Amino acid sequence: MAVIYKNFKTSFINFIPLLLLYYLSLSEIDTEFSNMFSILSFNLQIIIIYYWVLKDESIIGNGHIFIVGIINDVVMGLPMGISAISYLAVAFVASYIRNVTVNFSLFTDWFTFILAIFFSNLTFFILVTNFTDLELIYTELFYNSFFTFLFYPAFWLFFNIFRKIMVVRKDD
Amino acid sequence: MASSREDFGIAIRSALLQRGARAKFSLFFLFCFSIIIFFLDVNKFNVISLARNIINDGIYRLSNVATSPIKAFGMIGETSRNVIFTFKENKILKNELEQLRNKDFQVEYLKSQNEFLKRTLEKDKLTEFESVIAKVLLDKKSPYLKSIVINRGSKSKITRGMPVVDGNYLVGRVVEVNYLSSRVLLLNDLNSRIPVTLGEDAVQAILTGKGEANPKLEYLPEKYSINEGITVFTSGKDGIFSGGIPVGETILVDEEPKVRLFSDANQLSFVNVQLIQINEENF
Repeated sequence: MAVIYKNFKTSFINFIPLLLLYYLSLSEIDTEFSNMFSILSFNLQIIIIYYWVLKDESIIGNGHIFIVGIINDVVMGLPMGISAISYLAVAFVASYIRNVTVNFSLFTDWFTFILAIFFSNLTFFILVTNFTDLELIYTELFYNSFFTFLFYPAFWLFFNIFRKIMVVRKDD
Repeated sequence: MASSREDFGIAIRSALLQRGARAKFSLFFLFCFSIIIFFLDVNKFNVISLARNIINDGIYRLSNVATSPIKAFGMIGETSRNVIFTFKENKILKNELEQLRNKDFQVEYLKSQNEFLKRTLEKDKLTEFESVIAKVLLDKKSPYLKSIVINRGSKSKITRGMPVVDGNYLVGRVVEVNYLSSRVLLLNDLNSRIPVTLGEDAVQAILTGKGEANPKLEYLPEKYSINEGITVFTSGKDGIFSGGIPVGETILVDEEPKVRLFSDANQLSFVNVQLIQINEENF
């Protein structure tokens, strides 16, 4: 019984980042704070995907990233598949960085995160401008990317603490 | 040099094709699949449109359930604020009631005069529209799009382009219709353009969303100087909206004519969709 309980607790803790990712896409929790500060908005989904694909790919699978992207498109009213492509671009960069990097630190993660944001926004921008009638405010897109980059270290620290809890639970 | 290029190729291939411990699909496969879905959706293929409608209905409801705890917290806060300010509000309302009573006589007089003028001009009476009340399921803020999702769709005879009002005030128009839900594009969205009329001279203009709280008035007559506080109504010139729906009042921000909307898009809980026959060609 105790083993079952322990296994359940471990797998639940492992599921938390994935649950958070799904919940952010599904719910009305906003990472846009234009009421407080007109240009403040950031994309927490991208941070979660990048961090967890980079650190532990078993936590958030590619299929989940795809589904979260589709859900995000539906909730936001964007053409279906556009966020999925954008999120998969982030996962691709994270996966590539994981393959070529030996020592990870906050600074290597943070600066390689620029690549992820760049490719994610590039695919989004190319698809929106060339294949849809949507008009976007590009300055807001820039601010969103900037603040996403800026807030990465804070979430990196938070997720690192969380990862330590996960490791302790595994080794209990 | 050749070796580093090889390493780069191996790392890229590995990132694209490798499947991790729990990953069932490679990134390459999912990229291709997403691109196919995107192009089918953009080109409005029947099958994908139908699938999208079903997915939309499901996800909007799921999202509404997922959001309900947050909404409940928000409601508790709002109710507490309301209770605190009720006493003060009551005093103000009493004063306003007194003023309104006085105005009532004036309105009655104007009403009878209006009826008389209408009969004189032999004009048709304004068409009465059927409308349907809808609950706002989602109003997720986005840096890209300003829209809300409501819990009525084609089942309630809603079609694309129908005007959506909050009380008497225009909120936006329906841009996407599913069987049980619809998406409403708000007036301040970058993609929103509404023909409006204002002032005693019935000046025509286009109300253009800029992604900010206050949309801008464009295509005003040359040398037209605008004052603050003029009420803006829909003109009905596009053949989509009926004329005379109040939208907001004019304000000047850095010399630019803008409109402060009567309805606050952040506070919407229920809206009315006016079931007007829309010509899809106009939309």
